[in-house]
Amino acid sequence: MFTRLLWGILRSSSGRLIVALLALTSGAAVLAALLTMQADVQRKLSGEFRTLGANLIIQPPQALPTAREINSAATTTLLDASVIRAATTAGIPGTSLAPYLYVVAQANGRPIVVAGTWPGAALRLSPSWKLVQGRWMDLPHDDSECMLGRDVAHALGLAPGDQIRLQTSHASPRLIIAGILEAGADEDDQVIVSLALAQQLAGTPDKISLVAVNVPGSASQMEQARRRLAAALPTAEVRPLRQVTEAQGDIARRLRVLVASMVILILLLTLLCVLATMAALAVERRLDVGLMRALGGSISRVVSLFLAEAALLGALSGLAGYLIGIVLARWVGGRVFQSLISPQWKILPLTVAIMVAVALAGALPLRLLGKVRPGAILRGEA
Amino acid sequence: MTTRDSAPRDVSVLVDVRDLSKRFGEVNALESVSFQVASGEWIAMTGPSGSGKTTLINVLGGLDTPTSGHAIVDGMDVAALNEAELTRYRARKIGFVFQQFHLVPYLSAVENVMLAQYLHSVADKREACAALERVGLGDRLRHRPSQLSGGEQQRVAVVRALINQPSLILADEPTGNLDDANERIVLEIFRELHAEGHTILMVTHNPAIGDLADREIRLEHGRLASPASITTPEAPKVKNARAPETANR
Repeated sequence: MFTRLLWGILRSSSGRLIVALLALTSGAAVLAALLTMQADVQRKLSGEFRTLGANLIIQPPQALPTAREINSAATTTLLDASVIRAATTAGIPGTSLAPYLYVVAQANGRPIVVAGTWPGAALRLSPSWKLVQGRWMDLPHDDSECMLGRDVAHALGLAPGDQIRLQTSHASPRLIIAGILEAGADEDDQVIVSLALAQQLAGTPDKISLVAVNVPGSASQMEQARRRLAAALPTAEVRPLRQVTEAQGDIARRLRVLVASMVILILLLTLLCVLATMAALAVERRLDVGLMRALGGSISRVVSLFLAEAALLGALSGLAGYLIGIVLARWVGGRVFQSLISPQWKILPLTVAIMVAVALAGALPLRLLGKVRPGAILRGEA
Repeated sequence: MTTRDSAPRDVSVLVDVRDLSKRFGEVNALESVSFQVASGEWIAMTGPSGSGKTTLINVLGGLDTPTSGHAIVDGMDVAALNEAELTRYRARKIGFVFQQFHLVPYLSAVENVMLAQYLHSVADKREACAALERVGLGDRLRHRPSQLSGGEQQRVAVVRALINQPSLILADEPTGNLDDANERIVLEIFRELHAEGHTILMVTHNPAIGDLADREIRLEHGRLASPASITTPEAPKVKNARAPETANR
């Protein structure tokens, strides 16, 4: 009989219930889309942050091999180049790296910091590098070319195609300038050459100053990778580039707050809409409730009917909203991340549970109906 | 001032109303009303509009609570019951028949009867169908109220009131919305119920119903207009009505 009654009230108020169902489904769709994107966003965010460059540095213990310091003095402590292979085989998936060796050389009678690296890998790890003139030099072992930082090129009055002679006590190669780059950082004052050439200039074959590493993933995954690398490289120090990791964590945190705020706002709006619809329904159903109460229906039995109705609406809207939400998330993901958002099945029960809770909260006017006096309702006074 | 008559020793008193008053704000809907109804009696409650008939029915049915006094029905003082007890009281002791029928519009005839069973305890479709067949609605079981005539709707309402075998049937103008033909059919059902020993308290403006009932209790301005004596086989009736056949049940 409960099912018949439930079906009866659903049919009798189908117009208003469709409005409530639409409101709940809309809320559920946006909720599911936001939660799906939120769940997938860490992966997307990590991918996006990967383009920001290195987030870990492998350096000699206690050494200060930052480019700024190298601009003023030659490095004294170096790493063995074998750490490159050790870092590559440390078993951290998706890792990309670029080794650096910094040397101070003379060019046109003035000291210049020369950064030896794998130009292609360094470029991929340095998305801020912009080609101002010429072309990229991206062959890892091309010892005949170099790239000039914008400020060095300006100070020496050199342009792509010109030659530059770098002099140290170990070598004095003459190089063709492939291009001028602008990094907005220390590289603007440096000459970029291949790692092998820098090692010749320094007279330290098989030595490097540091390795810049990019590890994909969240901050915790990055920390895991750091520990793993540190364990694999006992002679080196592995430290995070805090600006990048903190920025990633900060954006993830802000995104979570944004999603949570929007979810709360949407649920409140949905709740208000359901409340308004249910209040109108409550007025329509006063006589039915009065009758059921007059016939001896207990408050719990009458109210349970309305709560079941609300729960059913919530569950249906949660299910439908989830499916719509996936489509919505995919569409937004395509537009914002230029990639497909994967469906998160764990969101389904969460969406259904939240929408059932919203529907039950929205059914408050119907619950209050159980408390009215049947005599007053049947007399038409309430 | 109305008086309350004590029930003779050989009559089982089902309803015992003592100094019952009900106020709605400044209005005295009922004022010190006292009377008794024997088990199996058919009482016609008459009086002009606003005299308190429906209020009295509602108090006896547990739909309203009195301001003072007592309304003891089948041993339970309605005035002393809380909300949950009143609900149980209505489900177990009372069968309501309303002038406007008050059938649930989205349920069929048999489902309307089953609703009363469900709210009382457990719905029994076979029993509900059999009860509707008894009042000539065997071919209208699956019809909605909107597909039934007024008389048919009221017959469904009567069956619904009786399906849980209540101690007292309270009918508020049950023929007020019916044409003559349907009124006759419904009154015949009430006559049969009375013959079976059901206790009926019926609000009516219809003098013909007053003649069918065992007794008439007349209210004016919230008070009894005349002393209300219990009908016994030996005692004379207030109006020309039959004695209950199962008064000592």
